[in-house]
Amino acid sequence: MISWTAIEAIAYKEFVHVWRDRRVMLLIVVLPPFFTFLFGHAFENSTIRDVPAMYFDADHSPQSQEFLALLKAKDIFDWKPWNGDPIGKIDLFTAGVDAAIVMPAGWGQGLQDGDPKPIRAVLDGSDTNTAPSVQGALQETLGDYQSKKRDELIENLPDEIIDLGKQLPVPIRHEFSSMMTPWDVKVETLYNPKLSFIDYVMPGIVGLILQLITVTLIASTITREREVGTLSQLLVTPLRQSEIVIGKVLPYLVISMFLIASTILVGNLHFGVKFQQPLLLSITCFLFLLFSLGLGLLISSFSRTQTQAIQISIFFLLPVMLLSGAFAPLGQLPRPVRICSELFPLTHFCRAFRNVNLHHSHISSIAGDLAFLAVGAIFTCAGASYLLRIIDD
Amino acid sequence: MPESLIVLKNLSKRFGKKKAVNRISMSIRTGEIFGFLGANGAGKTTTIRMLCGLTKPTAGIGTICGLNVWKDRFRIRSRFGYVPQKFSLYSDLTVGENLRFFAGAYRVPSQKIKARTQKVLCDLDLERRESERAGRLSGGYKQLLAIACALIHEPILLFMDEPTAGLDPTHRQAIWDLIYELSQAGTTIFVTTHYMDEAERCTDVGFVDGGQLLANGSPRDLKEGLKGHLLEVQVEPAMTAMFEFRKLPGIFGADLRSGNLRIQAEDPDALLHSWQVHWPFPGLKFLGFNWVEPDMEDVFQAYSRGYFKPDGDHPAPVKLAYKV
Ligand SMILES: Nc1ncnc2c1ncn2[C@@H]1O[C@H](COP(=O)(O)OP(=O)(O)O)[C@@H](O)[C@H]1O
Ligand SMILES: [Mg+2]
Repeated sequence: MISWTAIEAIAYKEFVHVWRDRRVMLLIVVLPPFFTFLFGHAFENSTIRDVPAMYFDADHSPQSQEFLALLKAKDIFDWKPWNGDPIGKIDLFTAGVDAAIVMPAGWGQGLQDGDPKPIRAVLDGSDTNTAPSVQGALQETLGDYQSKKRDELIENLPDEIIDLGKQLPVPIRHEFSSMMTPWDVKVETLYNPKLSFIDYVMPGIVGLILQLITVTLIASTITREREVGTLSQLLVTPLRQSEIVIGKVLPYLVISMFLIASTILVGNLHFGVKFQQPLLLSITCFLFLLFSLGLGLLISSFSRTQTQAIQISIFFLLPVMLLSGAFAPLGQLPRPVRICSELFPLTHFCRAFRNVNLHHSHISSIAGDLAFLAVGAIFTCAGASYLLRIIDD
Repeated sequence: MPESLIVLKNLSKRFGKKKAVNRISMSIRTGEIFGFLGANGAGKTTTIRMLCGLTKPTAGIGTICGLNVWKDRFRIRSRFGYVPQKFSLYSDLTVGENLRFFAGAYRVPSQKIKARTQKVLCDLDLERRESERAGRLSGGYKQLLAIACALIHEPILLFMDEPTAGLDPTHRQAIWDLIYELSQAGTTIFVTTHYMDEAERCTDVGFVDGGQLLANGSPRDLKEGLKGHLLEVQVEPAMTAMFEFRKLPGIFGADLRSGNLRIQAEDPDALLHSWQVHWPFPGLKFLGFNWVEPDMEDVFQAYSRGYFKPDGDHPAPVKLAYKV
């Protein structure tokens, strides 16, 4: 039978190892809230603004000036003085901007003559987000300008024309007036109505920090004992492998639950992120930590030296950071990569956490993720305990 | 005669091509202080680790109390204690914490833990260091703590791998006194060492070299086998004589002991007779001789020089060249 006295002995000893290692203590107390603070600010807002840009008005017509005034009212641009050749090739890089806009000569006249000329826009596509946003802002401004002009036009139509128009058949008249009003979409935003990115990214931040800390902390525990020689001492005692695994996981579980609480506190107090259904979130955190710790322990019982354990941890953590959907929706990844990312505990943690916190989901909608985390936890802990059992060196 | 507690039958361990332990067969009876002797690399640690179930024998079997040391390793673990060669306790835990940890690990009932801890602290003279960090203890106290941890569950058998290596004479004596006390109380001791004076203190010894068991028996019997093969001569200059003697056929060993030359030979008597007829070393002066009682150092040298064959304690009929 599993003995609680034995588990307690190991858990106490493991806790003392961490507690007496002042440097590690300092790191795990200070880093999680600090990282949450840092990453939180880094990912607080995803809307693009203050793109360095420059414009050249070769037209100098009232129309072009009117349009540019509308454009300048948008805060997406941070206008710089023009630098370059407005006719030939524009070198954004040397000009130090990400967008250049040229109003071609005769633009205003073209609008009046029924022959609108395109505005020239040169955009930096190296960062894939900026160019589409700038283009969208340009289109939007152009649309605004166009409907303003149309309103002016209708306003100034002579009465005779209006009377003339009334002679048109009713359906055509309706269709015509429909064409003259801007069509619109009525958007209703659910789940994250303020569209604040921080609410979306918070579980990613919390999960990533905890993933990092749990795996690296526990990954060195068995290998350290192996290196120092205490593992042989452990193995000649009648301790069961399951007792060793439980005893080692327990203190780290308690420590990391505290760490999660501290990051969540920063998220709530500093960034104003609300956390819903605390019980469901706690279960998610608990299973996620258990899986991560099991994984760390598995790495630990598999490696021969501490250096090896840390290296393996890093090789594991790197894809987790990039592919677990902590900072960007998984839907953007290609299918095979997505399947691979389904293997990471962080993926399921982030999804379950968001479902609960943003979608206010019921437990049934995250049952799959929770089950995966639970199975992973059992599997890794059992694996670590099996590896301990067959040690022969 | 008490029954055998530990039995080894052709126990072997290979690391790749290297035969670290090569077909060792012997048995150790309950209550013995068994000294496992051998030079560094002889295979002592590997043998102990196999007996403790820490590494799998590649051939042969070992049993403790009739249980297989590998297959039944999870069942025998509570019966013995193991003091490894290298200090391996938790340096960041205090003496008391280490003891309480091992008490828990060895399943000492929680109501008994306090009394047991107090008892071993007292027995091993560690009372005043209970709250010191294990890593800050001096070498001797570290070793005492390691023994204390291995004794916390009152095992019937204690394995100690070179417990006195590198210790000062006071601590060495303290550890041997402890071994006697444990033995007196009925604990069987399996101790490895390469100090020959310690071999004298064991009730039984096994001598390994290159992974093979070369001799096994009580120190008295082993020394008996060397009787009549040992002669001490006074020759001047002694150092030159030592090297000259080593080249002589019929002499297996010549060593300096307190200024005299101790010779191991197949038939020292015959040598003496021949020297009376003709002294073969014109540069050396023969001053006298006396017969000496062999000690374990002599036995060790005789065996490691191949003077004796692994089977049987009789002098080898073949003459072996002296190995430096
Ligand atoms: N894990 C190992 N891998 C390879 N060779 C080993 C290993 N452990 C011991 N050996 C070799 O086996 C031989 C016996 O070693 P050991 O049992 O430690 O000797 P002793 O304890 O008598 O000094 C040595 O030659 C050593 O190099
Ligand atoms: Mg050794």
